[in-house]
Amino acid sequence: MAALAEEQTEVAVKLEPEGPPTLLPPQAGDGAGEGSGGTTNNVGSVAVEDQPDVSAVLSAYSQQGDPTMYEEYYSGLKHFIECSLDCHRAELSQLFYPLFVHMYLELVYNQHENEAKSFFEKFHGDQECYYQDDLRVLSSLTKKEHMKGNETMLDFRTSKFVLRISRDSYQLLKRHLQEKQNNQIWNIVQEHLYIDIFDGMPRSKQQIDAMVGSLAGEAKREANKSKVFFGLLKEPEIEVPLDDEDEEGENEEGKPKKKKPKKDSIGSKSKKQDPNAPPQNRIPLPELKDSDKLDKIMNMKETTKRVRLGPDCLPSICFYTFLNAYQGLTAVDVTDDSSLIAGGFADSTVRVWSVTPKKLRSVKQASDLSLIDKESDDVLERIMDEKTASELKILYGHSGPVYGASFSPDRNYLLSSSEDGTVRLWSLQTFTCLVGYKGHNYPVWDTQFSPYGYYFVSGGHDRVARLWATDHYQPLRIFAGHLADVNCTRFHPNSNYVATGSADRTVRLWDVLNGNCVRIFTGHKGPIHSLTFSPNGRFLATGATDGRVLLWDIGHGLMVGELKGHTDTVCSLRFSRDGEILASGSMDNTVRLWDAIKAFEDLETDDFTTATGHINLPENSQELLLGTYMTKSTPVVHLHFTRRNLVLAAGAYSPQ
Amino acid sequence: MESGKMASPKSMPNDAQKMAQILKDMGITEYEPRGINQMMEFAFRYVTTIPDDVNIYSSHAKKATVDADDVQLAIQCRADQSFTSPPPRDFLLDITRQINQTPLPLIKPYSGPKLPPDRCCLTAPNYRLKSLQKKASTSAGRITVPRLSVSSVTSRPSTPTLGTPTPQTMSVSTKGGTPMSLTGQRFTVQMPTSQSPAVKPSIPATSAVQNVLINPSLIGSKNILITTNMVSSQNTANESSNALKENRRLKDGDAILRRGKLEKDCVCRLLKEEASIMYLKAKSDFLCVLDKEELCF
Repeated sequence: MAALAEEQTEVAVKLEPEGPPTLLPPQAGDGAGEGSGGTTNNVGSVAVEDQPDVSAVLSAYSQQGDPTMYEEYYSGLKHFIECSLDCHRAELSQLFYPLFVHMYLELVYNQHENEAKSFFEKFHGDQECYYQDDLRVLSSLTKKEHMKGNETMLDFRTSKFVLRISRDSYQLLKRHLQEKQNNQIWNIVQEHLYIDIFDGMPRSKQQIDAMVGSLAGEAKREANKSKVFFGLLKEPEIEVPLDDEDEEGENEEGKPKKKKPKKDSIGSKSKKQDPNAPPQNRIPLPELKDSDKLDKIMNMKETTKRVRLGPDCLPSICFYTFLNAYQGLTAVDVTDDSSLIAGGFADSTVRVWSVTPKKLRSVKQASDLSLIDKESDDVLERIMDEKTASELKILYGHSGPVYGASFSPDRNYLLSSSEDGTVRLWSLQTFTCLVGYKGHNYPVWDTQFSPYGYYFVSGGHDRVARLWATDHYQPLRIFAGHLADVNCTRFHPNSNYVATGSADRTVRLWDVLNGNCVRIFTGHKGPIHSLTFSPNGRFLATGATDGRVLLWDIGHGLMVGELKGHTDTVCSLRFSRDGEILASGSMDNTVRLWDAIKAFEDLETDDFTTATGHINLPENSQELLLGTYMTKSTPVVHLHFTRRNLVLAAGAYSPQ
Repeated sequence: MESGKMASPKSMPNDAQKMAQILKDMGITEYEPRGINQMMEFAFRYVTTIPDDVNIYSSHAKKATVDADDVQLAIQCRADQSFTSPPPRDFLLDITRQINQTPLPLIKPYSGPKLPPDRCCLTAPNYRLKSLQKKASTSAGRITVPRLSVSSVTSRPSTPTLGTPTPQTMSVSTKGGTPMSLTGQRFTVQMPTSQSPAVKPSIPATSAVQNVLINPSLIGSKNILITTNMVSSQNTANESSNALKENRRLKDGDAILRRGKLEKDCVCRLLKEEASIMYLKAKSDFLCVLDKEELCF
């Protein structure tokens, strides 16, 4: 190939003087994410307006063979795979989809429109059903110019599609492809696919089907091997007075460990350090204020009154229906103590309601504030202006539908993210907008405050998630790696990791400390719309448009459960306060409760550190389903467990 | 999206039928019927503006006839303008590498609400009022002052708010709910010459120009911004008494505001000489007192 490459370079220089001749050796089996090597395209396509970066990216396609022969190559491979042994067929069938897409795109890029069309017509029906959405998008890409604007397809081109194949199957394939004279397919395989070979039994169709579906294939095993600190941070010690009324909460003698650089303190010597918990100062966290300590005490008091849930003790569900929203309700959040509900709407307003009888008040004007006695005990009530008391506050500021909302843990701030590309921070004392964080220039689909406040994460159409701090106008971390929009972003309970669910059907876990992707979970067959961590930090539940809820073990990086039952997008998920029940809400107007303890109980006994990472998921969705609760044509947009384990659900009534 | 009642396919115009077919081909089964109208509008707009552009480019290049290149250029420019796509992956990975390298900043404890610098916040007033042409009225030496009350929020950050001056009332009342969304700018408050009943009756009918300059850039999280300055009629000749130049921060503006007369008068930071001049000329005792007591901060 070397001689041929040089020839092509010369020609390339002649034809495209403005583009740099990118001559990189083809990388075999290299890491994903970087542009794969390829010689510049030189066949009859002098781009009129070709930006250098796009041409470099698109030049991943070289003219490797006769366009009319592509159908034959593909048919030949298809025939070979169908004739192979049963045990290998399932694994080798994984090749069909990436090969089909890459060959089609090559034809389009090299402007063989007719051949591309007929190729597509002939073979698109053979692909798996879960790729149909992608194929539909692909069918609209018939010209080279169409490819330029579609970032997702461009990323698909430059990243390597990962396949996990057993060594036997791989040998079979390699032998077959290298035998043939025109091994164009072998070239494509080398350039665009990454084959993660494992030693062991070939996988069955069922096993493969559980794990495939994402736009980038599966995850490489190395991608899921780094250590993740999934344990929880230690709670600071606060002395809770045993009598309710006698002592005020102020006499805590907590030693907030965050003040000390070392994490030892007197109280903690009795408790063992959880080896899976991150060090206390791994990431800087805000100090605990007095008001936070009071909150924690309230929390602890509520905890004692919490109902223990289980299969025989299901929670009650209180549903908040938004009437007259006319499909405009796009985001909902509830505070941790369940006192406020915020709704983001398509008319770009954010509305905050008080759920308790206590009304919403804003702070007095400065002139009045100066008149009050600052030393009085009820100063926090006095600063509130009675004239502004109302049950509803409307916040204006965004210029597009509000797709994400999140309260801060201390209930002082509300975040909202919108289609206008900004994330706004609102003060819940004055009910005005404080800051607009501009970074995404495209719709921001989701945002969430960290469980300790101060940090927040946002994810949007530009395929990245950003980590911000409220006092920095630029993001602190950018989590880039997804191939399509980031639909959903959630913090881990210890605030050291961020999970993102994307339209490329993968879920990634990112480390806040250095921005690295530490886990990639594939298996969903549709864009992911909901994520939730279990309260103990060990597990992640995800829901997508395919109606399934998948359960993942973060430490081992494996799928551990699949909950089938919903018939439409699962758009909200929440674990109960102690992790016994998982509640899922969907666009099919139901809330389902699943037994989380049982779903995770086998894990203690099994050995997960298998080299292959194979999973055998039990078909136990029916046993795990504890209840299905229908609403009157109201999709369940948000779920929340109160501190006493009552379920609050929210949605907008949308009659058909 | 609900699939509402759609016009029956036969009665739809041809274009609309084509749009419905496109939606069907792309697998979109549920859509609002208005979506088809939107698509048709878009198609119309696209198909009419591109040829306009083509003509412009062609005539700019002084060509006799319109060329395929012109068409391609027109399409390209329009696409770059309206259909931008998110940044490409290599660019993203580059900036990601840069940004992710810096360690997470430490958090200063006990620093109040953690917000970015004020210039990045939306907490500053977002308007400026132009100064009126001063009508000379030299006889009255009184300073007519609009009532501007300044609020300071010492415990909470942000929103030192200035209300909007209305033509009727020259008093600017602060409203907590007003969203302020412009960055700090100097601005002048224009006081209409007509007197308002809100102003205390001791002000003579002929009012002087009142230029109020407010410099919101001085709005700090814990400070207040002083609002206005009153220029007395004597200073009309001296236009530069648009010493509405500076404002001064009042650490305890509330204390000043509380004084009754400040309802009428406002103080702003002037160059020291001008300040003293003004105060000397002012007949109000209070101002003189103020000068001695308050000017030195």
